[in-house]
Amino acid sequence: MPDAPDILRLENLQVHFPGRGGVLDHILGRPSAAVRAVDGVDLAVRRGEIVAIVGESGSGKSTLGRVITKLIQPTGGRLLFDGDDVTSMKGFSALRPYRHRVQMIFQDAYQALNPRHTVFDIVAEPLRSLRLVTDHTQLTQRVRQSHAAAGLNPPEEFFARFPHELSGGQRQRVVIAGALAVAPDLIVADEPVSMLDVSIRAQILQVLMDLRQQRNMALLFITHDLPVAWLIADRIAVMYLGRVVETGTADDITFRPRHPYTVALRNATPHVRGHSDREKLPALKGEIPSAARIPNGCRFHPRCPLAFARCREDAPPTIEVGPEHTTACWLMK
Amino acid sequence: MTKLTAESRRHLRTQAIKSFLRRFLGHNGAWLGLLALAFFLVLAAMPGALVGPLQTAITATGDFLIPPSTQHLLGTDEIGRDVLNLIVHGARTSLTIALVSTVISLIVGITVGMTSGYYGGRIDAWLMRTTDFFFVIPSFVLALVITPVVLEVIGRGGDILGFRPSLFVIILVIGSTSWAFVARIVRSQTLSLRERQFVERARVVGTNDLNIMVHHLLPLLVPQVAANGALVVANAIYTETALSFLGLGDPLQPSWGTLLSLAERAGAASSGAWWYFGAPGLCVLIVSLGFVLVGNALDDTFNPRRRAIP
Ligand SMILES: Nc1ncnc2c1ncn2[C@@H]1O[C@H](COP(=O)(O)OP(=O)(O)O)[C@@H](O)[C@H]1O
Ligand SMILES: [Mg+2]
Repeated sequence: MPDAPDILRLENLQVHFPGRGGVLDHILGRPSAAVRAVDGVDLAVRRGEIVAIVGESGSGKSTLGRVITKLIQPTGGRLLFDGDDVTSMKGFSALRPYRHRVQMIFQDAYQALNPRHTVFDIVAEPLRSLRLVTDHTQLTQRVRQSHAAAGLNPPEEFFARFPHELSGGQRQRVVIAGALAVAPDLIVADEPVSMLDVSIRAQILQVLMDLRQQRNMALLFITHDLPVAWLIADRIAVMYLGRVVETGTADDITFRPRHPYTVALRNATPHVRGHSDREKLPALKGEIPSAARIPNGCRFHPRCPLAFARCREDAPPTIEVGPEHTTACWLMK
Repeated sequence: MTKLTAESRRHLRTQAIKSFLRRFLGHNGAWLGLLALAFFLVLAAMPGALVGPLQTAITATGDFLIPPSTQHLLGTDEIGRDVLNLIVHGARTSLTIALVSTVISLIVGITVGMTSGYYGGRIDAWLMRTTDFFFVIPSFVLALVITPVVLEVIGRGGDILGFRPSLFVIILVIGSTSWAFVARIVRSQTLSLRERQFVERARVVGTNDLNIMVHHLLPLLVPQVAANGALVVANAIYTETALSFLGLGDPLQPSWGTLLSLAERAGAASSGAWWYFGAPGLCVLIVSLGFVLVGNALDDTFNPRRRAIP
């Protein structure tokens, strides 16, 4: 896997939303700061690789997922898919081949399914919309296969059901079946198990891992849960306030984290014990700031227990600290 | 699709319809409204079979302005025509105008409202400005403007799409003044629906905007549109009556509004011929009330929580 070619490459990718500003700003005529939800992300996902994006709520993970799936346009940087620059690609017909290869799974499957559509129509929708099948027999065949691959067995039992007649786990399997139907090369999964009962989580994660095994499909798995990331991912990218602060193998990030933020995330998780020399770091101070007010210097410095003068001045570069292990922290310099 | 699932799908649909009907008919108003509407629809469907052909000055069967009797259940008008005959034929004209103009206003209103709400931005701003214009334009003024144009184009004697010119004008006027109401409701509904995540998923799986609107949004708009559509019909009946009363109607195809207008001109009110203006007046009242009752019951059925607090 480490030598497989990149399927997805993000280079200094940015998504800035125009700031709405407070009422006061408006009255005083102050320009309101843009919301820098994704603010210069560099990341690569290889063919057939599972990469987890981990970070607190508000760190821009969902926005990153939405920009990769082309639901929103990036405002800066580059987005490369299988070597092609797709940064500014937009419009329904231009995106058709991309949609064929990049699919998405959502956090709340109930919200992601139209309550008036049957499971068959939901799973068939990508095939119909992207015109990937020519006749009904072929359509039924593909829909049945997708059901089976997502663990909806026997498929025919589910065809005529409506989303509200399914359990939470089954609904998420329907979303997965729909994404699989087009046989994509990359699936972006935005917190796909966080709304599910713990007992169901492992099954859904297993489905996703099996898919990678059988179809060599890459997965960008977004979660706020480090143990889940460790369980499913080959590599983990830790995101803080719109930027990736540390990347490494799942084991390195979980057991040998280098960035103070990653350490704090790990320490907030009771069952993970590592060998890091920063085991004894104090807990994180305060809360994640708004993406409209990103601190100068290192964006993590106001909350960092180890911050020193330089952290307040300059943003740290991304430094290689081991094989496949990078971090953006002045302490590593 | 296998046979089994097609069957169970049909079964589910029947179940859904049954449960809808049970809740809908649980409202007393729904029963009353439906009964009234059914009654008038029967009248409108076969006026000839019920009361014979429409009477004219030549074929009039009675004396002038005689009060209701066994021979003329609703009396006669100033030239001796049977009022019952006129009313039953009028039902056809009035209901046709109301329903056709409602269909127009629903089609235009849904298209404009959905486009506006879905795309937002500049398209929304322009469409809503146009909608507001039609929202406030008085139907009678519009009728005054359109009538000469239509008459010029097709001539007084011709017909257009099967309607005589003056009826066509009325349909056009009602259609163009009432779609704005529908457009506003549909727009606000669309604004909230387009934020739902299944729209996002539809975009990711490659569904284009038109299909998102038709297959994802439209089915969810149906309840709201149906409930308000009934109110649009009631309003159309009322507007049709008003326009005809003001003399825009067609004397050869009299609607209830035309009859009221004739009654007024014949001095029915001052001469005590209550049956002459009372009969069409009551019909207008009952039919619009019927549609309002059905509309409210639909609204209650689709949004049970909205009226839970009295
Ligand atoms: N459409 C939007 N407009 C303005 N701000 C947004 C929008 N979407 C997200 N944000 C902001 O971007 C930041 C990151 O949000 P999000 O990507 O949802 O983070 P996460 O998924 O990690 O919780 C938040 O501050 C959020 O308020
Ligand atoms: Mg999120």
